[in-house]
Amino acid sequence: MSRLEDLKARIKAALPGLECVIAWQKGYDPLHNTPLFIRTEADVDKLEWGPLNVHNPAVYLPSFRGKKIGVVVKGCDSRSVVELLQEGLIDRDDVVIFSMPCTGVIDLTKVKARIAAAGTTAGAVTAVATDGNTVSVTAGGETLTLPLEQVAADKCGSCQFPNAVLSDQFVGDPAAPITPKAPVAADLATLDALSVPERMAFWRYQMERCIRCYACRNACPLCVCRDHCIAQSREPHWLTQEDTSTEKFFFQVVHAMHLAGRCTECGECQRACPMDIPILALKKHLNRTIHDLFDYQAGVDPQAIPPLLQFKVEEDNIKERGW
Amino acid sequence: MAAVKYISRDKLPQWLAALAQDRRVLVPVAEGDGVVFRPYDPAKEPIFGSDATAPPKSAVFPACQELFRYEQTKDAENPDKSTLELIPNLEMPATVVFGAKPCGARGFLIFDRVYQGKKFPDPYYKAARDATVFVTMACAKVENTCFCHWVGSGPADPAGSDVLLTPVGDGYTVEAVSDKGAPLLDSPLLTDGAAKAAEAEAVKTATREALGEAPDISSAPQALLDAFNDMDFWRDQSDKCLSCGACTFLCPTCYCFTITDEPAGLNGRRMRSWDACMHFQFTLEASGHNPRPTKAHRLKNRVGHKFSYYPTLHEGLIACCGCGRCIKSCPVSVDIREIVQNAVARSKA
Amino acid sequence: MTNPQNPYLPEVATILETVQETHNIKTFRVRFDNEAAMAAFKFEPGQVGQLSLFGVGESTFVINSPPTRMDYLQFSVMRAGEVTTRLHGLAAGDKIGVRAPLGNCFPYEAMKGKNIVFVGGGIGMAPLRTLFLYMLDNRADYGDITLLYGAKSPADMAFSAELPEWTGRSDVNTTLTIDREAEGWQHKVGLIPNVLLEIAPKPDNTVAVTCGPPIMIKFTLEALKKLGFEDDQIVTTLEKRMKCGIGICGRCNIGSSYVCVDGPVYTYAQLKALPNEL
Repeated sequence: MSRLEDLKARIKAALPGLECVIAWQKGYDPLHNTPLFIRTEADVDKLEWGPLNVHNPAVYLPSFRGKKIGVVVKGCDSRSVVELLQEGLIDRDDVVIFSMPCTGVIDLTKVKARIAAAGTTAGAVTAVATDGNTVSVTAGGETLTLPLEQVAADKCGSCQFPNAVLSDQFVGDPAAPITPKAPVAADLATLDALSVPERMAFWRYQMERCIRCYACRNACPLCVCRDHCIAQSREPHWLTQEDTSTEKFFFQVVHAMHLAGRCTECGECQRACPMDIPILALKKHLNRTIHDLFDYQAGVDPQAIPPLLQFKVEEDNIKERGW
Repeated sequence: MAAVKYISRDKLPQWLAALAQDRRVLVPVAEGDGVVFRPYDPAKEPIFGSDATAPPKSAVFPACQELFRYEQTKDAENPDKSTLELIPNLEMPATVVFGAKPCGARGFLIFDRVYQGKKFPDPYYKAARDATVFVTMACAKVENTCFCHWVGSGPADPAGSDVLLTPVGDGYTVEAVSDKGAPLLDSPLLTDGAAKAAEAEAVKTATREALGEAPDISSAPQALLDAFNDMDFWRDQSDKCLSCGACTFLCPTCYCFTITDEPAGLNGRRMRSWDACMHFQFTLEASGHNPRPTKAHRLKNRVGHKFSYYPTLHEGLIACCGCGRCIKSCPVSVDIREIVQNAVARSKA
Repeated sequence: MTNPQNPYLPEVATILETVQETHNIKTFRVRFDNEAAMAAFKFEPGQVGQLSLFGVGESTFVINSPPTRMDYLQFSVMRAGEVTTRLHGLAAGDKIGVRAPLGNCFPYEAMKGKNIVFVGGGIGMAPLRTLFLYMLDNRADYGDITLLYGAKSPADMAFSAELPEWTGRSDVNTTLTIDREAEGWQHKVGLIPNVLLEIAPKPDNTVAVTCGPPIMIKFTLEALKKLGFEDDQIVTTLEKRMKCGIGICGRCNIGSSYVCVDGPVYTYAQLKALPNEL
């Protein structure tokens, strides 16, 4: 039995006791998979596993609270599940976690750029084949074979959690973490090298094309404000509805602050953005600050309390008044 | 209409520059990894021939626009008395939107019926619509998310456009579609295009053929009403939806807005801005009651509005141009084609 | 319509007087600052207006004075959210904006010659008031008029200054009711639907007009059906979150019906034909 067949069998066995199991299935074209909500055995057979499983299914878990639910996760997704458990936003007894080792997912923006460079479009793709190392895309009669490491999401190039941090059913041999090629992620390095005024200009430029759709917010598994978001609220009235970089960047900064020490860098915010705005960098920056100050990484230890959700009289790394 | 003209691709920058002399010319350009409509800048090469990430909707229907400002002046002699003046802002710049695909302009057909109704015509929309000329480019290739042919349109649909360009060889044929667009053909950069007309028609035909047959969705309006109370059906359609507004704000036919006031001391502004029926607050009442409390209710309304309610009110016109942006840009690939077909199949079962 | 060339532009009006009806309902009587606009203003009973509090926003209220009494336009506001709370802070002399008349009206022409039964609960009396007073001002055009107005307690009854006249008149049959016994209360005690069944108006050649909180409407409808009223003999007026008020912004729809233009007045028969998303 292949790994995938084994996983399907285990899901079928667990299904009767569960409201549904969240996973992935084929999407509207060979380049896209899409979330799958398994409710019947026939649904289980649609399950797909591979580099097209870009979505983080943890985002759906809080809305199923009170029901028993299953979820199939990649390693990075499992960190979001753990963070949700840490914060008491879901109940451990109600979630059955299935997982397999992950060797990376594609960044569709990168794939589209390679397809465009080859003179055709993603909308003309007729076939996609993947193995552990390559993604072969057939469009306009030509097949492009792309090394996965060149078109994978940035997070995959330095993945420390290829296996679920927490799971009830893990199928397959654990994969090894990836040694990052550079000590600092590329997007952070680029911004680090800019002066503060240059960084502000960068963000003003990037936020111009933001359409305030809040896909970034709604795709984030850890966003709790959601329908009560300050970006749309009149009480408190912090933002106007004006279509300016100022208002839009204000929202991004508030969202990043809300996520500080809670964000697991799954990258959904950036992936979900229909205008391809590189907003993940804001959260990554705050996370490294949190890491330096509190020796903390989100979504790794289900028993840990995120540093900004607790209070210590004396902090280990913040020295005030020479104490 | 007037005879077909022709412009070679290398003359396009000159034409754009000439148009930009006395009006705002919006062209699709790269901005980061997205493609958006921005005022023409000779230093930035426009990206023609593929669909911009965002449609040129904001040229006529800005994401946020001032309806009026208000100014309160206190009587110096008698501070209890004040006068209140309302100053509407109906200034709309003369604009040419150049290089959108026909589907981007067709969206305004859906807007026109709502915003230019007899009883309450919208003067802001009229000012912008009258001031804007759409020079669209017929498609020479199709994407697997294109379904303009499902909704009564096509890759060379002139409806909504003022001038239609069709790619032929090293240039474009240029056809005037409306009285507003005809004067643009007077440009000396354009030459007679009669010799290219047949080639242009062949491009249009070939592109339409590449789309294939559209399924019969004529029963969709009734099918969607039939499914209204079937919340299990709508749960299945909306399970993966994140209830954001990406589909709505990128849709050339979505026209909903909200109105908000921004005070600044005694003065302030009333503005309207894009709003999405996919958002929880859209129908939230002050009492706390929400007629559409879940994403299933809201997705049902969105699809219902586009493929059932609007066509029922507007002689069968579907409030969708088939551009496929909602499918491409949805973070979880919700596919409205699938939902409509599922509703149709549900009624047939 | 105030400013038909620009239906988003309110007419500036001044509050002439206010009446604190109950702890959370306040009545405003306003006149447009522009006398010519006020003189030219026409509306029909049941139509609504968007009241602007500049810098805060707009909310929809029925014009609850009748077109037969044009000294002022009256709006009764229940405090619920941002705009209504700030509105409640206004006093005579303050300025607001009015965009009106919006929506459809009660079928007051078709109701001529019929008996009318008004059933109002709490703030729901506000839209009924405009039609009730209009009919009193055109009394000969209508048959028997019955008014049943209920509230939680005497302190929750709106229009208390007018109630003695409404109960005292011999040309209308007015019943007031409260939910529970209260000291000094001279009228009925009982939930509105139950009192309605006691009054037992006959449905022959009669139209019932009802408005109030959703739970009251639900049970009132049941009572009216029990009394033999057909769906097209029952008229109500709806509330929805509104912004443009002119059928454009897309939010107040029930299926393909926009409450701000096709409503807010609907017969029960019309509501039953619409998708269930009240």
